[in-house]
Amino acid sequence: MLRPKDDAPLPGPAPAAEPLIALTGVDKTFGPVKALSGFTATVGRGEFVTVVGPSGCGKSTLFNIVAGLEEPDAGGALRFEGRSCHAAELLGRVSFMPQRDLLLPWRNVVDNAILALEIEGRPRREARAEALRMLPEFGLAGFEAQYPHQLSGGMRQRVALMRTFMFERDLMLLDEPFGALDALTRTMMQRWLLDVWQRHRRTILFITHDVDEAIFLGDRVLVMTARPGAVKLEQRIDLPRPRRPDLVTAPEFIRLKRTLLEAIEEESMKSFQTSQETAR
Amino acid sequence: MSAALAAAAPPAGRRGHPLVRRIGGRVLALLAVALAWEGLVLLFGIRPFYLPRLSSVLGAILATPGAYAAGFLRTLAETLIGFVAGGAFGVAIAVAFLRLRALRELVFPLFVVSQTIPVIAFGALVVLWFGNTLLAKAVIAFYLTFFPVTVNALIGLESVDPRQIALMRSFGAAPRQILLQLQLPSALPQIFVALRLAASLSLVGAIVGEWFGDTTGLGVLLLQAMYNENVVAIWAALLVSALLGTGFYAAVAALERRLVFWGAEQ
Repeated sequence: MLRPKDDAPLPGPAPAAEPLIALTGVDKTFGPVKALSGFTATVGRGEFVTVVGPSGCGKSTLFNIVAGLEEPDAGGALRFEGRSCHAAELLGRVSFMPQRDLLLPWRNVVDNAILALEIEGRPRREARAEALRMLPEFGLAGFEAQYPHQLSGGMRQRVALMRTFMFERDLMLLDEPFGALDALTRTMMQRWLLDVWQRHRRTILFITHDVDEAIFLGDRVLVMTARPGAVKLEQRIDLPRPRRPDLVTAPEFIRLKRTLLEAIEEESMKSFQTSQETAR
Repeated sequence: MSAALAAAAPPAGRRGHPLVRRIGGRVLALLAVALAWEGLVLLFGIRPFYLPRLSSVLGAILATPGAYAAGFLRTLAETLIGFVAGGAFGVAIAVAFLRLRALRELVFPLFVVSQTIPVIAFGALVVLWFGNTLLAKAVIAFYLTFFPVTVNALIGLESVDPRQIALMRSFGAAPRQILLQLQLPSALPQIFVALRLAASLSLVGAIVGEWFGDTTGLGVLLLQAMYNENVVAIWAALLVSALLGTGFYAAVAALERRLVFWGAEQ
């Protein structure tokens, strides 16, 4: 898992350059519920940004907008690659990985991995050959002909990640990809993801519940407020890369964790109180 | 988990060996029933009017094998045409209903009404329209087949996980790609539930259709035997019909096992 890096650690995001995606004052309402309110954030090219927040804070709504699946309310601005655009224009331009692996049970590992390429119209033979080359990197060598019901949860998740990576887009959206995994598998997967990310140099926006995970992975952590969701705190994580597993016990890590936990705690209390009020 | 262990075995071994054992078991069970039939009739001295001996029934079939073979093939053809047409039409209509809400609200009640008409009444009409042709019987088989397929295919198509559709859309998939790569395969288990039902129903349709008049077919053999009060011939026709019905059902079920190998996992 931990191999020596031939690359130098990725330089931090260059703030001067045009961000890959920028949301300014984005709102989203579903009937009486306001999911996002004045959400503003940017993600630079090659950056790894993690998003944490209390449950029900509109993280998934944010992701659906960035994936192009939902249109934000009128008024906010969405810019992608320096141009203002509608959310729908992002369909097919962002590689999106939802919480559940959503593998197709009638497709084997390779054919699940190439699903997005097939939709793009790439010849199946060529896509399969490429997938076969990538299998070892995703820890799936020898499993190409297996079907999803024959795989463990961690492996299924890796197939889903491989599907996302094979759909080569500059921006990758990962929605709690490791949420369903046990703690041990999860830390393995985190290290592995950093490894793959540094070799493929993609931009990642990553949702999680787990503050440790957010700090361990990210260049920057966005803490969201309780609903309606907005950015409460933006925290740079200047920990050196490559990040080692023992980093989680380093004093800087603990310090960052304390700051973030305080912010999240405050918001969790708020959403807890509001839900109690509405229940009353 | 035993399921995981079974899954880890190579697929050829999983299908090949137990299949042989299963078929062997069925053949043995059939033999036992045949022996019991023959033996009980002899033992209790049952009059042939109520239940002839199996050997005499088989003898009747072997005496004029050509008539039974021709009837078998004819009825098989009617059943098969009605079944395939009904299945294809059912799935196509389900897709149309899925896409066009208005069409569904307009046409679906008509389908329901059509299914409340007894097949006998409908059969008379079909024979008037199409005459005593093979097509007339296939149409009746079709009439009994398409509705369950439509209903089940629609249930299957609508029960696709919306998150799965969202994922396909995020890959930039067109509606046609979503239909072919996701919705139709997802609906296959449901469609096959209806197809197994339709396998039996289409045979009923074909046989009932033959009762309105024809010269070959298992329904014709049944009717002739009944008018002649030839009990052995009734049993013979019944036996051949059972063979056709069981064989057809088994073929559909085998196709299902092959195509829906992942089970109702998701």
